[in-house]
Order: sequence, then C-alpha cells, then structure tokens
Amino acid sequence: MNIENTQSQMRKGILEFCILSVIRRGEAYPSDIVEEMKAANLNILEGTLYPLLTRLKNADMLTYRWVESNSGPPRKYFSLTPKGEAFYGELQATWNELANAVHALTQKI
Amino acid sequence: MKKIININFHSRVIPIEETAYEILQQYVESLRRYFANEEGREEIISDIENRFSELFADKLKKGAACITDDDVNAIIASMGRPEEFAGEEPETSHASSATGAGSGTSATGSGTASGTGATGSGPQQGYGPYTADEPRRLFRASNDKVLGGVCAGLANYLKLDPAIVRLLFVLITFTWGFGFLLYIILWIVLPTKALATNARKRLYRNPDDRVIAGVASGIAAYFHIDVWIPRLIFSLPLIIGIVTSIFQNIWWHFFRWDGGHILADGFGGSLFIAYIVLWIVLPEAITASEKLEMRGEKIDLESIKNTVKSDLESFKGRARDMGAEMKESFQNMGQQMGSQIRQNVQNFSAEAGAAARKSNSGIGHAIGVVFKAFFLMIAGIVAFALVMLLVALAFSGGGLLDLKSYVLDGFWEDILAWASFILCLVVPVIALLTWLIRRITGIRSQRHYLGYMFATLWVIGLISFVVLAGMVINNFRVRAHSEEDFALAQPSHGNLIIRARTNVHREYYDDDWWFNNGWRHHGYFYTLNDDSVFLNTVQIKILRSDDSSYHMRILRGSLGPGTNAALDHARQINFQIAQTDSIVLLPGGFPVTRDQKFRNQQVIVAVYIPNGKKFMIDNSVNRYDWMNLRVGRSHIEFDDHDRNDDSYDDEGFSLENNFYWNSGVQYMMTTEGLQRVNAMGKPEDRPERPEIKERPEKPDRPGKKENDEKPENPTPGNGGYRYKEPAKKNNADTPATRSSTMLMSHRPSRFVLFSLFI
Repeated sequence: MNIENTQSQMRKGILEFCILSVIRRGEAYPSDIVEEMKAANLNILEGTLYPLLTRLKNADMLTYRWVESNSGPPRKYFSLTPKGEAFYGELQATWNELANAVHALTQKI
Repeated sequence: MKKIININFHSRVIPIEETAYEILQQYVESLRRYFANEEGREEIISDIENRFSELFADKLKKGAACITDDDVNAIIASMGRPEEFAGEEPETSHASSATGAGSGTSATGSGTASGTGATGSGPQQGYGPYTADEPRRLFRASNDKVLGGVCAGLANYLKLDPAIVRLLFVLITFTWGFGFLLYIILWIVLPTKALATNARKRLYRNPDDRVIAGVASGIAAYFHIDVWIPRLIFSLPLIIGIVTSIFQNIWWHFFRWDGGHILADGFGGSLFIAYIVLWIVLPEAITASEKLEMRGEKIDLESIKNTVKSDLESFKGRARDMGAEMKESFQNMGQQMGSQIRQNVQNFSAEAGAAARKSNSGIGHAIGVVFKAFFLMIAGIVAFALVMLLVALAFSGGGLLDLKSYVLDGFWEDILAWASFILCLVVPVIALLTWLIRRITGIRSQRHYLGYMFATLWVIGLISFVVLAGMVINNFRVRAHSEEDFALAQPSHGNLIIRARTNVHREYYDDDWWFNNGWRHHGYFYTLNDDSVFLNTVQIKILRSDDSSYHMRILRGSLGPGTNAALDHARQINFQIAQTDSIVLLPGGFPVTRDQKFRNQQVIVAVYIPNGKKFMIDNSVNRYDWMNLRVGRSHIEFDDHDRNDDSYDDEGFSLENNFYWNSGVQYMMTTEGLQRVNAMGKPEDRPERPEIKERPEKPDRPGKKENDEKPENPTPGNGGYRYKEPAKKNNADTPATRSSTMLMSHRPSRFVLFSLFI
C-alpha cells in the first residue's frame, strides 16, 4: 500500500463533482476552473481537465459556447445542461452522505 | 544562439525557438498517443493546444521576444504530462472494465504512476492509459497491425517499440522457423483491443554515427549499449564468410550452388535481411526531439522482468477466480447443455462465416486465421524465393548475362529478354517490397492503380517471355553437319595415338575466381573469356577403315532455325588438329564467339582404323563432354550421354558401327573387332566387350520425325553415310562388311553437296 496512490484515488473520486460545482455557478473557462480550484487548495493538472470536460460534454452533461475574447481567437465557455444538473444533484447527495459518514466515523471517539 | 521560427498556432503567430517548438511537438505527440483511443481525442488536443497558444500570447504581450524552452517546459509542467494524468483522472470512460483492479496492480508496487499534481514532480516511471488502472494483459492490437497485431500487442505489453518486436519475430522466423507458428498461436489465442503505443522511446536510425545506414548505432542507442555490439552481430555473417572463404573458398562454393547458402538461411541470413528491413523501415533521427526519443528511458531486462512478474501475480489471482468460476459453471452445465447445444448448432453456421471477418474468438476465427496464415506463408515463401533468385542472379549475373549474348540473336531477342527479366522478376519483388513497407509503416493507399500497374507489367513480362522462348527455341530447331576429311599422314609404326590438348585456354579462367568453382568442372560451357565461350562437346568415334590406311574425318554439327543457318554455324567451328608422326593432337575444345552464338555446336572426330593396325586414345580426351539438344514442336530433349553414346543420327545420319573403346588402352583393329594389345604389341586374350554396340531400334518420335524427314537434301541417296533406314535393312550383314561399305564411299556427303548449292 502506498500513500500517494490512496490519496490520488480519493482525489479522483471527487474531481468531477468539484468541477461540475464550479461550472454550475456560471459559465466557466477551463483555466478559470483550474484557478478557482487552486484557490480552494485543490490542485489539478490542467491537462487532466480538458479530457474530463470533453468527456462530460460528450456525455451531454456539459455544453459550451464560443465567446469572443479581446485578444486572439474565441474561447470555449462551459455550462451545465439539464442532464448535467441532475447528475450534479445526485453527486451532491452522494457527497453529503459520504461526508456525513466520514465525519461520523472519524469524529467518533 | 538559437534559431527562432514563426509558427501559426491556433490563429496566433508565435515566434518560438526551434528547440522549444520541438519540445512542444513532442509533448503534443505524447498526448496524442495517450489519448489514442479516446473518442474526443482531437478536441481534447485542440483545446490544450489552444490553451498553449493563449499562454504564449500572454507571454509575448508581457514583452517577451519569443517563446523559449523554459516557457514551454513551464506550461507543460502546469498542464501535466500524460504519465501524470493516469493518477489524476477519475476512472470514467476507458477504464470501465477495471472494477477494483487498480488496487490489484498497486499492491504489487511495481512503480504505478503516482503523479501528485501538487508537487508537479515531472516525468517519472508511469504507465499508459491501460496500465495504471487495469492489470496489464496481453492483447492483439486492433489499431496497429501488420498481420494480426500480435507484435504491437506484445510491444504494448512489454512497453517496447513495436518495430523491435516485429524485428525479433522476423528474425526468429527466418532463423528457426517457429516464430511463425508462435505468431499464429498468439493470433488465435489473444483477444483484440485497440491499444495505444506506450513506448516512451522509438527505434531510429542514427545518422550521426553510421557505417552503412546507422541501423546498428540506432539499436545501440535504443538499448543503451555500446555501438560495437550490434555492429559486430550484424557483421558476423560477413566475417564468417571471409574466414571460410579463406579456408578453401567454401563460402563461394555454397553460394554458387545453394543460391547463397549463408546469405539465405541461418542466423547470418536473417541478420542480413533484418538489416535491410530495418534500413527501409526505420526513420532517421533528424530533429533533436527524435534524437531524444531514440535514447529515451533506459529499458533493460530488469524492467521487462518487473512488468512480466507483476503480471504473473495478477494472473495468479485471475486463475484462482477462474477456478471458482469454472466450478460454478460445471454445475450449471448439466442443465444448460441441452439448450446450449441446440442454440450453438443454429448459430454456428452464421458465426463461422461472420467470425472470420469480425475476428471474434471462436472456431470460425481460428479457421480464418489458419487460412490467412497459410496463404500468407505461401505468399511469403514465393516472395522469399523470388528475392533469393534475384539475389542469386545479381551475384552470378555476370556469368549469366555473359551467356545470354551467346544464346540470344538480334536486337529484339535482347529487348525481350530484358523485358521478361525485369517485368517477370524485378517487378514482383518491387511490388512485394512496396507492400511490405506499407504494411510495416502502416501507410495504406486508397488507390489501387499501383496494383493494377504491377499486374499489367507482369503479364507483359510473361508474354514477352513466351515470345522470347519461342524465338529462342526456333533457333535450335534443326541440326546440320558439315564434314571434312583430315589429311592424316600415315603413322610410321602402325600405331595412332590420339590426344587432346589439355592446357589450352586454362589461363583464361584460372585466375578468374568466378569460374574457379564448379562451372569449369561441371558445365558444358567450359570457360568464358571476354568474347567467347569454350565448348568441349567433342566425341571420338572409332570405326573400321576399309582400306589399309588410317583416315580421319571431322564432323561439325550445329543447331539453327533452318538447315542453312545451322550449317553456317557448324562451319564456323574452329577445330584445328595437329599431327606429329603418330600422335594426333586434338584441341581441348573449340571456342564459340558472341557472333557465332551458342547453338549446341558439336564436333565428332571419326577415326578409321585399318585391320591389323593399332591405336590408342589418351586419357586426356576425358576432358571432353557431350551434350545434345533436340528441339521438337512440343518438346525439348536434352541428353548428355558421354562419348560412348553411339547415336549420332539426328538428321538421318549415322555412325552406328563404331566401336566401344576405353581411353588409355592400346587397341588393335581385327576382323573380330577391337582387341586389346599389351605393351609388346601382342594381342591380349580378351577382346573388348562389347565389341560393337548393336543399336536398338528406336521408335520414331513424332516431333523428331518431322525434322528428320524435312532436310531439303536434293539427293538423299548420294550421302556418303547412309540413311538410317537402309542401314537398318543391312542389319543382317556382318558388322565388318557393313562398315566397309560405309568407308569405301568417299563421295562427298550430302552436306558437302548441299553446301555447294549455296
């Protein structure tokens, strides 16, 4: 058993949930998502974000539109679809359960 | 000092250092490989590139003159390398089958990717998409295959460049032959899957350090070994060749008779072929990034062992599971059997057809594979034989090409010969190589015109070969002889000694290593110098003289398209006999020049011995050979009976009453036949047996008959030598009288007569 592996396993599980929650607050540009997560002290490689977003988009959880930027070509801004919204809802419920359970278990003396 | 190039990168013009550009390219390429079977691969990569371009633009806006290596590396670090993704990504799409297996691999602790993004710990020992989360399994690669994708699958499993594994397979196949069998077994057994290349390094040819093409030093760089090792291995066959050729020229001997024995089979041959294949297939490492890729991470036996070991452990687990599963399924089997069989029978016919195409793993698949393999093997053998033939021709071509100009007559035959050679032999080889390279490099052409072109050229070659064969055969259709009496001075002691000159022309070939082996001793084309072949198709016939003196008569024969032409050829034979008292010295053969052409020229020396006189034929005549071509409408006959073949009757012309003799024996002609005599000149007891060969009547062959009846001789009865039919009628006569009638006739033969008409 190595600790890093377990840590990354834990992180993996919540990654999608966190990303969806950032996007849910409003249209988001990928690098902004990374920044926001970093600010919350949840580090993520930008390179892993793009495939994740694409997969979510292909699964109809996300949609995007091109937004003109003042410098250079337009950027992709992602937002949640109704399906993504429902998905997020379920994830949130699961998270709450998990958090409670973990909290209950770890705080027990 | 660094070169800066401008690139148009996602609608932005970016000035970038060339090295930085290469790093970027390499990174994108690694992403491409990582996401090889991701549905939205292009989109993902485009997004990432877009982000790069945006960050570059930011940098430039802040006043940077150009994008440097450091800039690119910094961005890559924040993006993360593919090997770091594996530990980060949730198991969403492509790891769907790996339920809880991730912990299985990590338990073995074989260096699972553990990139903690927080530290950005750079590239480290990590696995591609299929290795971190699943137990590594052996698959056939459905996306990267030459035949069945076995090699690419193995390469993926061992994390090697597929080219390496392919090469090994080729090597094993050509060396020991079981490589192919192994391949077929794996082909049948392994399931398919689209696999990404996870080799972190590739095999290149190293242009910086090369002797021939840099193959050896490329391999050395790949395996991190000294360059002399692969070089020594590759040059081993050559060294062996040189060593053995020093000892008794063995190498060349093999080479000549077995079409390149050492080149063609054995390990040396495989190495030779491997080198050529590598030369063709491997790209040169030109750019800096390619050179980096060429060296890559160190791959040694240890790392391969580790991957296999970790795999075996997970296999053990699976085997246990399988045991349990099987127990269960056996229990179920009883109930299910009945319905199952019924269903299977129904499905089978459908499946058998479809499976071969769909590469399911079923019986149909196995049959399909075996058929395909069988076909490929035959194609391979044919191709290999063709290549070897070409190689052999290329090496012995000097000799063969030389001979060509003796057989072929005229411009058109020459053109046809080249056309049929190039189109029938070279074109298939080129086609095969093209196909092979396409297979190995994975380039597929949508256009089929190339194939049609090859096929058309080949058919043209075949047609020109047939036409050529017809023309050439026509040149060998008719045989004619000219004859000439040799003014023999009567030997003073009543003993005639016949010798053949031995050392004539030897100087031409003794220093010629090419003809130093084999041909000289085996062939009819005795030797070859710049403008002539030397034939030794000479026979000596002993007959009874019907007066009291020796006579000698020389018959020159040749083939040609018609009697005239054949006679022309025959008369050109230069066969000069010398006599010094009792010794008659025959030439060792006769030269045929390029202008004369080879038309199976022959010389017969007929020696007439009077009764009571002696003669001896020296052992030196044993160097003569004999060869007789008979070309009919539908057949070509070749016989090479030696000097004692008594039938010389191709054109109704016969010397059938000749006596059997041995060389090196003193004979005396008696009324009974030939008698051996001892050194004292006294007859020995035993007469030579068989004294006279009674020629069995030969049934006339249809093709021959036509030729036989054809000669345009206006006065057949005038021939000095009788026709076969009259001779047959005289069979009842004693041999003595028969030969005497033959020898009495000193009228010019029909051929001489015929020549007078010309």
